[in-house]
Amino acid sequence: MVFQENATLKQKLEILSDAAKYDVACTSSGVERKGGKGQVGNTAAAGICHSFGADGRCISLLKILFTNECIYNCKYCINRCTNDVPRATFTPEEVCTLTMEFYRRNYIEGLFLSSGIVRSPDYTMELICRTLGDLRGKYHFNGYIHCKAIPGVSPELVEEAGWYADRMSINLELPTEKGLQEMAPNKSRRMILTPMRQIQMGVAESREYLGMKGGNQSAYWYTQKRMGRSLPGAEAAAAQRNRLSCGQGDGDCAGQKMTPGSAVSVGRDRQEEASFVGCGRKGKASSGSCDRQEEASFVGCGRKGRTSSGSCDRQEEASFGRDVTGIQRGLSLPSTSLTQWDKRDTSRGFVPGGQSTQMIVGAAGESDYEIMAVTEALYQRFDLKRVFYSAFINVNQDNDLPALQGQPPLRREHRLYQADFLLRFYGFRAEELLSAEKPFFNTYLDPKCDWALRHLEQFPVEINTADYNTLLRVPGIGEKSARRIVRARRTGSLDYHALKAIGVVLKRAIYFITCNGKMMYHFLKIDEDYITRNLLENDADVMKGFGEKVTYKQLSLFDLS
Amino acid sequence: MDKPVRVYQCDNTAEGILSAVYEAGISGYGHKYIRIEPQVKGEAQNIALFSEYISVESDGKKVESVIDAVRRKISYRAYTYIMRAAISAFADRGDAIYQFAAYGFSMGDKVCSALQIPWVKRIFEIDRAVANETNHMIEFLRFQEVQREPSLLLAVFEPKHQVTALAAEHFADRFPDEWFIIYDKAHGEAAFHNADGRWEMRLLTRQEQSRLETLSEQREDYVDLWKAFFENIAIEERRNGGLQRNLLPLYYRKHMTEFKE
Ligand code: SF4
Repeated sequence: MVFQENATLKQKLEILSDAAKYDVACTSSGVERKGGKGQVGNTAAAGICHSFGADGRCISLLKILFTNECIYNCKYCINRCTNDVPRATFTPEEVCTLTMEFYRRNYIEGLFLSSGIVRSPDYTMELICRTLGDLRGKYHFNGYIHCKAIPGVSPELVEEAGWYADRMSINLELPTEKGLQEMAPNKSRRMILTPMRQIQMGVAESREYLGMKGGNQSAYWYTQKRMGRSLPGAEAAAAQRNRLSCGQGDGDCAGQKMTPGSAVSVGRDRQEEASFVGCGRKGKASSGSCDRQEEASFVGCGRKGRTSSGSCDRQEEASFGRDVTGIQRGLSLPSTSLTQWDKRDTSRGFVPGGQSTQMIVGAAGESDYEIMAVTEALYQRFDLKRVFYSAFINVNQDNDLPALQGQPPLRREHRLYQADFLLRFYGFRAEELLSAEKPFFNTYLDPKCDWALRHLEQFPVEINTADYNTLLRVPGIGEKSARRIVRARRTGSLDYHALKAIGVVLKRAIYFITCNGKMMYHFLKIDEDYITRNLLENDADVMKGFGEKVTYKQLSLFDLS
Repeated sequence: MDKPVRVYQCDNTAEGILSAVYEAGISGYGHKYIRIEPQVKGEAQNIALFSEYISVESDGKKVESVIDAVRRKISYRAYTYIMRAAISAFADRGDAIYQFAAYGFSMGDKVCSALQIPWVKRIFEIDRAVANETNHMIEFLRFQEVQREPSLLLAVFEPKHQVTALAAEHFADRFPDEWFIIYDKAHGEAAFHNADGRWEMRLLTRQEQSRLETLSEQREDYVDLWKAFFENIAIEERRNGGLQRNLLPLYYRKHMTEFKE
């Protein structure tokens, strides 16, 4: 290791921001919190970007590692212990000062603190907790804090961090367990999913006692609710309620702040029953909501749709199926409760902005289908706010890693984000977009166009009568324009002119809609080849190739189907 | 039968525009024949034949009465559209407000969603532009500590629309205990915030403006730290200047710490 002895603050900042840059999430969203006298800062539910770097990525938070003196050896990581890179470690005071002074100047929305693992996961997490504790307590910082949970860390420290942070995340890194074993030999699925489950339960419990505290439910949650499907995290919340009410039964909690930790043992069994055991075994689930959830996620993801008997053995056959169901069942992880109610400042709630995670794309040969299925399971089973995707960059030129020709797989990453959007906001299910037979997204068409072209029997859609959810499925109609259509047509019927004013992307939508029974041009055909050709010729956006200009003629050299 | 178009000429301020809307409104002259033209200093007037010109005095009472009528007879939402349009820089904002309000008085709050109507669509566009710039100001504004003990923060910005007061509200909530000044160089006004939480907007004299400009030319240590962070956080393999320009227009970079030499 190359140590920077007596590095200046600026040198440390250079090293530890450079080391942190591969983490994708820089959002400051999910919590609405007002400022107050004696405090510095507030937060905005939508998040605020303060700048955009040379790579066009948003800069919202001071994203740094506490240290990059890491003892682990993850193959994809620039900071792995066998690499010869400059190393540095901040002090808690330095991180606090940088955060406060940057924040006062409106450079940032807050802090995103991650870290390499120095000495041990717990030792590292203690340093993080001390920093965040000072920031909240000594410096009265009331802005946004995103904090990483270190894999394998003990629950007390996860909980402490959660009382300071607005959002926490722990990176899944790879969609399959096998991939993780190969790439990050010091980590395991369990080390990652255990804190993730703990945070989920903590959030549910905190909401139960404290209300939402300015936090909101995820977009995925709202979408499922709108569509009348069972809600992510519902089981966790129910389990918490269950447990908490057991606790209340033998203690007198009226009027005082409760310490639900004491109820853990009582509620444990019930909890398992409610949230883990039943789920993932079709037919045996005791509550109706589990069944529905299986329909929503399970059937399409694993091989389940085909085996249909629900036998778990069959599922084991496909290792990928196991990965997804592992996440779906929560791996029968231990359930935990918040135990530090009387020690911590609970005024902000516990991780009010929820949690997110990140997967690396293109390092271990996983398919888009695997990634999307895992994503969906994470939204459903762990109530995540966001799943981020990071195009793999081979910083280490390791022999075990795919050699990249030129750019990282940015286009693929882009497609995954689009599909993720379809899950979170549009009510699509992973199985509608991809399948074992078609495990990758079309490079040249965005996932929504691609889906629509494979479901032409559902088109055209009549703008003046179709319901909101149907409108959302039309290429060229987004959330906002669908909402505006529904509102505007109450005051009179809409024509193509009005649609343009509303913000519908007509060049994409015209093949899929009618206004008062008429298509925009009488010669339009509802035919897959015809539409594909026209879309690719007239609409550069469907291909969105990061500046690459590809014409249809060039494309037809490839196999478009 | 066509009658001559009536042009209400007013000050090029929010107050001027709303005063003209008031005068036009009570005139009872058909909506179709009404124009509202803010007079921009130093710009030649555009006199059309066969039009009547009426010059309107700005008057707080007229403004109040428009606002009051909109809030009572249309809705709070319509009121926010109108107020944001009034502080915008678009030359047709007076017409947009007048026509939007005219529809609103007959349709009620539903007017806010009736994007089929061209003037409603226009007010909506104006509203979006003003809201966007307010957000940009909240995002891209940069403070400098220009004085210590007590600390004083100063930010300079040149918004196209007069959005400083909207942005200042955000910063007043965020930094309740700070002394800070947000100087809108384009409109010659500033928000002054005291450490006790009170703040006000004020038009500045020439001297005050040049004083603030001189103050803002200092360079403090945190500039270097921020620039160091800004440069290191980008991933070289993903460099994409086009995307960066789309998201962060060059226009706004002039006063941003990370883009200064
Ligand atoms: S734990 Fe792995 S990913 Fe994290 S800093 Fe260390 S080597 Fe990198």
